[in-house]
Amino acid sequence: MGFFAALLAIAIALDGPEIDFDTEIIPILTRSGCNSGACHGAAAGRGGFQLSLLGGDAAADYAAIVRQYEGRRIHPIQPEKSLVLRKPTMELDHEGGDALDTDGAKRIANWIRQGAKRTKLRQLISIDAEPRDVLLPSINAESALKVVAHFDDGTKSDVSRWTVFSPSDPFATSVDSSRSVATVHRGGQHTIIARYLDRVIPLRISVPMTDEAIDLSSEPSGNFIDEHVNSTLQRLRLPVSAQADDSTWVRRLHLDLVGRLPNRQEAETFLLDSATNKREVLIDRLLQSEAFVDYWTYRFSMLLRVFPQPNDKVGAITYHQWIQQQLRDDTPIDALARTLLLAVGDTHQVGAANFSRASSDARSHAEFVSQVFMGTKLQCANCHNHPLDRWTQDDYHGLAAVFARIDRGQIVKIADRGDVTNVRTGEPAIPRIPGTQYLGKDVDARQAFADWLVSPDNPYFARAFVNRLWRGMFGRGLIEPADDIRDTNPATHPELLDRLAQDFVEHKYSLRHALRKMATSQTYGRSSLPNAKNRADDRFYSHALQRPLEPEVYVDALVDVTGVFDRYGDEELGKRAIQLVDPTTPSESLDLLGRCSRRTSCEGVAASSALPAKLHQLNGELINRKVISSEGVLENWIQSNAKDAEIVEDFYWRALSRKPSNTERDYWIRQLSELNNGEKKQVFEDFLWSLLNCSEFASNH
Amino acid sequence: MQCIDKRCDGVDRRDALRLGSLGVFGLTLFGRSPAFASIGDRSKAKSCILLWLDGGPSHLETFDVKPDAPAEVRGPFQPIATNVIGTYLSELLTRTAKVTDKIAIIRSMTSPLGEHGIANQYMLSGYKPNSVIDYPSYGSVLSKVRASENVLPPYIAIPSVRGPAGAGFLGTAYDPFSIGGDPSKASFRVKDLDFYPGVDAERMNRRRAFMDQLETFQRRHEKGNANTDSRFEQAYRMVISEKTKRAFDLSLEKEGIRSKYGLGSFGQSCLMARRLVENGVPFVTVDYNGWDTHESLVLRLKEGFAGAKVGVGLVPTFDQGFATLVEDLDERGMLDETLVIAMGEFGRTPKINTRGGRDHWPRVFSIALAGGGVRGGIVVGKSDAIGESPAERPVSPSDLAFTIYSLLGVEPSLELQTEDGRPVQINQGGELIKELVS
Repeated sequence: MGFFAALLAIAIALDGPEIDFDTEIIPILTRSGCNSGACHGAAAGRGGFQLSLLGGDAAADYAAIVRQYEGRRIHPIQPEKSLVLRKPTMELDHEGGDALDTDGAKRIANWIRQGAKRTKLRQLISIDAEPRDVLLPSINAESALKVVAHFDDGTKSDVSRWTVFSPSDPFATSVDSSRSVATVHRGGQHTIIARYLDRVIPLRISVPMTDEAIDLSSEPSGNFIDEHVNSTLQRLRLPVSAQADDSTWVRRLHLDLVGRLPNRQEAETFLLDSATNKREVLIDRLLQSEAFVDYWTYRFSMLLRVFPQPNDKVGAITYHQWIQQQLRDDTPIDALARTLLLAVGDTHQVGAANFSRASSDARSHAEFVSQVFMGTKLQCANCHNHPLDRWTQDDYHGLAAVFARIDRGQIVKIADRGDVTNVRTGEPAIPRIPGTQYLGKDVDARQAFADWLVSPDNPYFARAFVNRLWRGMFGRGLIEPADDIRDTNPATHPELLDRLAQDFVEHKYSLRHALRKMATSQTYGRSSLPNAKNRADDRFYSHALQRPLEPEVYVDALVDVTGVFDRYGDEELGKRAIQLVDPTTPSESLDLLGRCSRRTSCEGVAASSALPAKLHQLNGELINRKVISSEGVLENWIQSNAKDAEIVEDFYWRALSRKPSNTERDYWIRQLSELNNGEKKQVFEDFLWSLLNCSEFASNH
Repeated sequence: MQCIDKRCDGVDRRDALRLGSLGVFGLTLFGRSPAFASIGDRSKAKSCILLWLDGGPSHLETFDVKPDAPAEVRGPFQPIATNVIGTYLSELLTRTAKVTDKIAIIRSMTSPLGEHGIANQYMLSGYKPNSVIDYPSYGSVLSKVRASENVLPPYIAIPSVRGPAGAGFLGTAYDPFSIGGDPSKASFRVKDLDFYPGVDAERMNRRRAFMDQLETFQRRHEKGNANTDSRFEQAYRMVISEKTKRAFDLSLEKEGIRSKYGLGSFGQSCLMARRLVENGVPFVTVDYNGWDTHESLVLRLKEGFAGAKVGVGLVPTFDQGFATLVEDLDERGMLDETLVIAMGEFGRTPKINTRGGRDHWPRVFSIALAGGGVRGGIVVGKSDAIGESPAERPVSPSDLAFTIYSLLGVEPSLELQTEDGRPVQINQGGELIKELVS
């Protein structure tokens, strides 16, 4: 290049508007992957060059590029000779390969030419992204993506070119970033996360899952749940399965609300009942039963971590009783949460105070609280600002500081002092409501946090809770995992989740109300049998989801069917597994089936289907002992001289809540005929064994 | 230039960019090529024994000694010569030093992941964890692609399995089977494998026929919804097979062999692994815990307990089991078709910390492989003077995955389906570690 030409080039470049480091250079680094966790964004940097993770700290990045390494990363006279350009364009050896494209390189060169300044011309206020929610006609269709940034100087600009678009499922959608265009490769509802600087927006792109349009407008609707679910199904062209028959439904409802099978009389009565509102009546009856209290105490014990302290079982028992009482009284869940957060006193007397003993220190306390009451995982923000969520290190350590003064002895009390160090600053963290505000010295931080958490407009509390209940009733959370709620993990049915949360708040945070709402929907009543067109659906509720029973529920069901009890440690005979206060109560079966340890919160666990669990079911003591027992229901029947068919039918009712079909009954009678008494007993045992091992028994369907 | 070479593989830059943009915010623009150049039909390994050193073993106290580094890096142990001229190991690996000619060491493993859970997943699947797809581990993939009539489960973990070595999206049917106890104990039995008292094969067969009938009835009742439970089938076959029960019985081994492996849990687990491989199990993981040595290197790596005269710590115990396994397989003519891998999720920090231990260090670490067609007596790659970064020939967990699959005769570009029918390649972005097989 001749001297004058070079001069001219510089003059032209200088004429252009000044490039802003924070809002125009950092996005290039993020988009090119320079500051990702795998490259220079790692805690220790890479190749001696460290950038803040995803550009979270512009000042540090500026210093790293312009000042460190004695300023050799940039070449002010000949920008294109700058290391910061020559490496990522592979002019020099670069482990990260050819990372920077021509546009990005040009802009960085221009910025260097302008003097590599950081004048902070403007700040990002917000971004808009499109399409937020679009339905494309078919796979391989494309959708243009557009992101507009708004800055505090009143300007806005199209930053699509500098936005990172990340498909949540890289096999379902892909993004051609040079054109900012998404292509969909599979039917379904997909998410692409748009990230510009520290802002993220999920974009929903859907494609119908079948070829033929369907019309669900004439489907019966129990309540608002059905309207939301059906509108999504219609959009995705997923036809619905029929309503489940009465015996399937009554079994399902019992398992979901009271964690046990209906007994024969309950099931038969329900089937014979001809009242049109019999489903609603049964829902209400179960919600008011003591069995409901038992079962939900078990579920809450997993969530709220009821386990004994070393050499101290009294606290756990008191905690368990307290939970039981709250559920019996239908204590509003907001009040329950507030009490748990604030309770102090002797854990042998104040049940709720045990909540504070479930964590060993303030940080794990903060993680526990955010997981259970906000449905979020805050722990990533311990070491760095959460890259996929809004949480910062100040949020994390600030929430820990809220709980820093709790003395977690047998007597839970508030100490005069107690700090948590904010690892970012090295200073004691200032108590903070995450994402919201710092709390002054004169404020009771726990009180302030509790007030914020359970206020009706809190965006987390009600949503996290109804999502968890939904998961219990339908087998999958609207947000899944249920304790990972964040902007970048959107709900399958966001409007429905909002509506459920609103309804929950409006009805005084009543657990029974929320469950009733779900149980009375047509969606809940659908059969789990898929049809040819909705078989691929695993999250839109065109059919019910079949799921394994929980370990405790399964072993209790075995006891109910056979009439032979299990003994748990020193507990009295007849104690049900779901009633156990201590998750370490000896039980090999529960261990093999994978019960929740409660050291961390469980959202409900399915019995293990691993080989050791199957071997145990098939060949271990769990079922074998019960079928050969000389004390159970089978032995009574055999002694009674009842007809074979009568015995078979009784066990069908007990295990499956239905009558055997004629074919089934004939088959079993054939197997049992013409045998001497000893043989017949064995065949009956084997019949019962097979009933207890079959999938219809072991699942909630 | 080294990196330019990587582009001479027929992958154009646009493809590389597209591939690179797949990660969630990861943007792994490392210019690696998609699957190509596996070893195809030349693979020899029929099975694989993975000695998983859980917690992350120190490379500096095992396969990558730095005698010339400053004391705080060098650590307390000296190097020793091996039966391969020019290759030195830590003095704690005396037995391994005698079989080094059968072993390939990689000293330039590198990964960005320094937390146990995610690092495990990366090393055991070759995929960085992501929130949407839960990738299967090697053993699970092998279970899936190797059709086997064998009654023994295709993927067995001794004594049990750590979280992320599972089947991922392949589903629990391909999870490893944990033998669930310590095979060095005289009382060890695989739980619930022996017939329940009063039940024999005949009754078991009748029960099974009843079960089949019930599932068929229910399919009719529910119009095709009941899924046949493959796990039940497998459990049933194990219970009725005598051969299965013998495979787990170490008392059938000669006493001399048992003591040669080491009578502790790890040694006997290695021996169990050999018996299982002999009985046709394609993938066995021996899980050896305790390598997360944030403190007291001498105590934990060498002595095992305070004041031990003969070291029974992690490294001597590993040394005995590993070297004996390689030797034993070789003597039985099984080494060529059995791939043995010894590795953990990462290495340890170059500088010894204030508690006399080393912390997590994924940027460079070492692993060892033997048998299954791997060239013995070689060292691949090199770390820098203090074992901080790769100095030559960085090898990623994805490259390792590509290579493991290739050695086992599984095409790394093979696509498996997730439950909802989505195709996922078993490896993406890896390259063959050519030195190991050429």
